[in-house]
Amino acid sequence: MFGYVVHRLLVMIPTLLAISLIVFIIIQLPPGDYLSTYMAELQAQGEAVDPQKIAFLREAYGLDRPAWQQYLFWLWGLLHGDMGYSFAYNLPVSQVVGDRLSLTFIVSFSCILFTWVVAFPIGIYSATHQYSWADYGLTFLGFVGLATPNFLLALVLLYCANTWFGVSIGGLMDDNYIGRPWSFGKVGSVLAHLWLPVIVIGLSGTAGMIRRLRANLLDELQKQYVVTARAKGLSPFKTLVKYPLRMALNPFIADIGTLLPHVVSGSAIVSVVLSLPTTGPMLLDALRSQDMYLAGSFLMFLALLTVLGVFLSDLALAVLDPRIRLGAGSLK
Amino acid sequence: MRPLGMRRLASVLALTALLLGSGEARALTYIETPSLAEDVAAGKLPPVDKRVPTDPAVESGRPGQPGGELHVLISSARDTRLLAIIGYARLMAYTPAYDLVPDILESVDQHDQRIYTLHLRPGHRWSDGEPFTSEDFRYWWEDVANNSKLSPTGPPVALLREGEKPKVEILDPLTVRYSWSAPMPTFLSLLASPTPITIYRPAHYLKQFHAKYADKDKLDALVQAAHVRNWAQLHNRVDNPVRNDNPDLPTLDPWVLKTAPPSERFVFERNPYYYRVDREGRQLPYIDRIDAAVADSKIIPAKVGAGEADLQSRYLRFDNYTFLKASEARNSYRVRLWKTGYGSQLALYPNLNVNDPAWRNLLRDVRFRRALSLAIDRHEINNVIYYGLALEGQNTMLPDSPLYSAADRKAWAEYDPGQARRLLDEIGLTKKNSEGIRLMPDGRPLQIVVEMAGAAAEEGDVLELIRDNWREVGIKLFAKPLQIEVMHNRIFSGETVMCIDRGLENGLANAEMSPAHLAPTLQSDWQWPRWGQFYETHGMSGEAPDLPVGMDLLKLARQWMDATDFEARQALWRRMLAIHADQVLTIGLVAEVPQPVVVSDRLRNIPEQGVYNFDPGAFFGVYKPDRFWFVPEAPADQPS
Repeated sequence: MFGYVVHRLLVMIPTLLAISLIVFIIIQLPPGDYLSTYMAELQAQGEAVDPQKIAFLREAYGLDRPAWQQYLFWLWGLLHGDMGYSFAYNLPVSQVVGDRLSLTFIVSFSCILFTWVVAFPIGIYSATHQYSWADYGLTFLGFVGLATPNFLLALVLLYCANTWFGVSIGGLMDDNYIGRPWSFGKVGSVLAHLWLPVIVIGLSGTAGMIRRLRANLLDELQKQYVVTARAKGLSPFKTLVKYPLRMALNPFIADIGTLLPHVVSGSAIVSVVLSLPTTGPMLLDALRSQDMYLAGSFLMFLALLTVLGVFLSDLALAVLDPRIRLGAGSLK
Repeated sequence: MRPLGMRRLASVLALTALLLGSGEARALTYIETPSLAEDVAAGKLPPVDKRVPTDPAVESGRPGQPGGELHVLISSARDTRLLAIIGYARLMAYTPAYDLVPDILESVDQHDQRIYTLHLRPGHRWSDGEPFTSEDFRYWWEDVANNSKLSPTGPPVALLREGEKPKVEILDPLTVRYSWSAPMPTFLSLLASPTPITIYRPAHYLKQFHAKYADKDKLDALVQAAHVRNWAQLHNRVDNPVRNDNPDLPTLDPWVLKTAPPSERFVFERNPYYYRVDREGRQLPYIDRIDAAVADSKIIPAKVGAGEADLQSRYLRFDNYTFLKASEARNSYRVRLWKTGYGSQLALYPNLNVNDPAWRNLLRDVRFRRALSLAIDRHEINNVIYYGLALEGQNTMLPDSPLYSAADRKAWAEYDPGQARRLLDEIGLTKKNSEGIRLMPDGRPLQIVVEMAGAAAEEGDVLELIRDNWREVGIKLFAKPLQIEVMHNRIFSGETVMCIDRGLENGLANAEMSPAHLAPTLQSDWQWPRWGQFYETHGMSGEAPDLPVGMDLLKLARQWMDATDFEARQALWRRMLAIHADQVLTIGLVAEVPQPVVVSDRLRNIPEQGVYNFDPGAFFGVYKPDRFWFVPEAPADQPS
């Protein structure tokens, strides 16, 4: 087991290096660089740009060097914990990203929580009451959530929240709390704004979760051990929770790998529509304006989370489900 | 003669106002700003008569009341520069009638438009209370603009006359002289630009970042802490008055940035040392604080409709008008429609420098450009997309410009498909394919791909209408949306045949403003990108103009620089405009598409009918936002 963990950890290093290379290539693929974007933006607003000044900036930012040098420069920085420099913000990337992460985590964890709280009871109920009216009804609702484009739902709810409850449009708090220290008023304001994105983002995941739980549970419910447990007189609820539900939880744990990056990048489009101060819109913006170190560092961070998440979910699965053997391959 | 007379009159009036103003100012007893009274009482700030210059600029309009917080919306942290634009504190400034008057400067003496002597106001201070003197001008010229580390390309090109630097003399603490050996008529208007060449810097603050003045160890520590490579990069970062992203940089603007980026909300507070007062002795600006919240540009119209901005125009477009109007009453604001200053809201740019030789020949044929223009039904575009509110015609001056000519606007702009067909036949484009599309000389069907960069629906809609128009004369149009950077690169490299974009930036020019946009001097004029590049790089890259029209325009622009009297300049402007109209170098569509401006019901002093323009105008700048004020919230003012 210990050897396996060490092996998995070591494999992560070349994986991440390969990812960093791919990330860098992809960011560099569109023609031009940040400064050409910057020029285009200024010109679109009718401002003049001095080409000499742009050439000077290109040199100052190191954009005139060949791509492989830029890559190595960036990689070297990453290894030292320096995520590079954001051109658009004129600040080190670490300073730009800093305060958005906490809000992203708040939103994303609330969404995961929402999804679980909604999906669990519904999934269990529709599995145990298969083909009932309630099963159909709840499943239908879940599918509506899945089928409605998130951004559309966001816009509709935004409008309703504003006209009915007077909640300001977009954002995670009233403007006058932005940049102020935390206070009861600020927490209240965040809570008043949080429910909307949570519903919008959370609802899309709910349907999938319901269906998976329902399907897994249905598989298990038919099995011999359940019948045996029932026959021995165990109460239906206890039977359900103790055996089949535990088995049905497998996919949830396997999901951790994808869940962690979702916490950071998830729901970028909704965040853009709702102008949430999370990392999603910033990543999108960085990609569009070719702010390459900012975008690259974001993507690397996501990659790291995915790799770590898969690792964690593997470990957790092994602990929770004895049927899965980590070293299975080597035993054969 | 008449325009000259008017101009003289205007400057005499301005001078009189200034003299009267200063006379009045001496008699003025200043009134302390309520929001600063506490700091003054506590000794943190000197009283108001010690803060304003001994000879402040006096606002002659109706006095308002100080106080209040103005909410606006911006789309990213970079937009903090908008406040530097609309704050519009400039050495020289345009009035709403586009007369150029001294603003931060007390006065200017000029000789032959060659020698400019700038006089500062005694007692004028930076926002941190340090004196603003000629040392700040010297520091910029000697230690910034001419320092090879800070400005490797030397002083800004706009300050050079045919490559020659000005001579800068510091005459005394309040007097600076700039002189060239040839006339430099654009100098004062450069100082009044929305993104001006700030020829002064807060030397007392910046010296701590300059290797020549700072203690080496201290500077090294600063460089380390800021994660930059050397002191020059650090200096350039902290010193960016146009970008306005450093809360520590002292400024002369009405409001001072208080929030360090990155943030989702930027607060600007009043500059306690601002140089303008109203005629009753209250220091401007009236509004205490500006609160700029960041929101995605696409959501800004919705937020404005929900009443989250007191004053907003940026990111609002004409097609938001009905939506904004619908929630006017609920959120106590009014939507005003201001005029815009573009020569044409949208114009087609035939690329005279296109690579494809067949296209190049065709686009360079003036008959072809005229035919394309004649085949467009501008009236239909106006009615279908702009509710008939726009002005149809070519991409030229607007009626409010003293250089306006109705003939120029109408030239080749009437819808006349018959004549368009005749012109196309005359060129020899007579063969048609089975679809009825004309064939180019080399046998390809005449299909024009018009590239557009706007994500906005507007350009696509307009092109859709033109497509039907052109189809009738046997030309096929394809619209191709592109990322803006991709489109620019394609144009620069000569791939693009035609593109659609905003028309002339300044449709309100007068003869004193530079006609550079009318001649091939800029790469970003899409009808001749290579010629412009050639001019901009002094012949290092691009192509020299090889059509008489390009050479003529360039010659006229040079003559304009050399001309010293107003009539000559005006005549040159008119000649250049006439050439543009006759040669149809760009195909204008409609102009004066109104710009929605949302104004809170409590906000005063914002003109009902304004012009929304970047240069000149600085959006709200010419209307002096420092004199906008809030009616205090009283029960009577609440809408019932």
